[in-house]
Amino acid sequence: MSEKNEKLIADYLQGNLSEEDKLKVEELLAKGDIDFIDFRAMEQLHDELDLIQVPEPSQEMSNRFYTMLEGEKQTTRVSLVETIREKLVELLQSVTMPRLAYAFVLLVIGGFIGTQLNSGDSEIEQLTSEMQNMREMMMVSMLEGPSTTDQLRAVNISAQLPTADEKAIRALLFTLDNNESVNVRVQAVEALSRWGNLPLVQEGMVRSIARQESDIVIITLADAMVDLGLKNSANEFQRLIDEKDLAGATKRKVENTIAILL
Amino acid sequence: MMKVKGGDLDKLGLIYERYNRSLYSFFYRKTMQSQLSEDLVQSVFERMLKYRTTYSGTGAFTTWMFSIARNAHIDHYRKEKRRGEDEILDEERIAGDVPPEYVEMDERNQKKVMLEIALNRLDEDKKEVVIMSRFEGLRYHEIAEIQGVTESAVKVRMFRAMKELKQIVTTLSEEYSNE
Repeated sequence: MSEKNEKLIADYLQGNLSEEDKLKVEELLAKGDIDFIDFRAMEQLHDELDLIQVPEPSQEMSNRFYTMLEGEKQTTRVSLVETIREKLVELLQSVTMPRLAYAFVLLVIGGFIGTQLNSGDSEIEQLTSEMQNMREMMMVSMLEGPSTTDQLRAVNISAQLPTADEKAIRALLFTLDNNESVNVRVQAVEALSRWGNLPLVQEGMVRSIARQESDIVIITLADAMVDLGLKNSANEFQRLIDEKDLAGATKRKVENTIAILL
Repeated sequence: MMKVKGGDLDKLGLIYERYNRSLYSFFYRKTMQSQLSEDLVQSVFERMLKYRTTYSGTGAFTTWMFSIARNAHIDHYRKEKRRGEDEILDEERIAGDVPPEYVEMDERNQKKVMLEIALNRLDEDKKEVVIMSRFEGLRYHEIAEIQGVTESAVKVRMFRAMKELKQIVTTLSEEYSNE
């Protein structure tokens, strides 16, 4: 039989024939170019293949698949968290427009949390921890930037941190000592006061008293020292009175503060 | 599958539910071994996950899936060949042998046994065309893509496979009716 007729029969078996081709097969059968008995036997055999049955797969097959899938999901989730963290660190290290970066970070974090709502408690805890790390890195990066607005924003971000690590505290203390903006320094005092129970914060704030020039910052620090009950700050305030020519109202405030503390 | 590629791995569960039976049948008809077929189904889904980023979504998903299945089967037999291990078949029956209980079977079951034996005596490419076309409902052009040949070649293979099946069944039937 020619290959052409073989292909025609193959198409017939799969039900692919056009009306024209069906007529062609009928003609070939009528003329005897395709043996009718062979053709019918092949067609019948094609139908009888249905007799070959396949047993059901075991439940174990599905169990194995879902175990594998769960494992892959865990691996992917962990690597996704890692990737996001690395990308954010990379971004913050090279940030030139902190506000844009901040908006972007919030967008990414928001989106990521949204996708993780069905995660287990331990994953939520991991994500919370990751978010705190991101906030801290972002805050430090923005404090080191040139924009006063971003520095203020960074100090405010610290209010969202349930706990602060040493790096974040040192960044705030450095800001309190060196930032040119009075507003930023005042905000830094308020932010640091939240962790006023930590020795590092107490020591840093007390040491910073003598470095301050601005009356507003000095008064804010004086209030903070009273609130925190840091008696050892009295000596620093006394040095301030002795060494600097404070304005009358400021001097009186500092003297009152020393009296309260002692 | 595009969603799986995009990271929504849960969607692979839907694909599994839809195609696991089809893949299992494909492997079972090829190997006649239940455990091996299940292992190969697992291998296909592992490969889908591993190579999900290479899925382009241009052709039919089933073509991509059966290409992976075919490769998984080929890789398995290459490994077996290297290890020099013989196949251990289900039901303690070597493919191609008539079981001892054949004579006690009714005509329908005898026919079934003959067809199974005949299918297993085909060469791998022909057997594959019959399985994919007749049982898995793939079109010839899809089988051609999976096997890496032309559609015409697949049609010729299909015709010749059916012809050979018929001859084997006829020969076996004559042989066993004389016993």
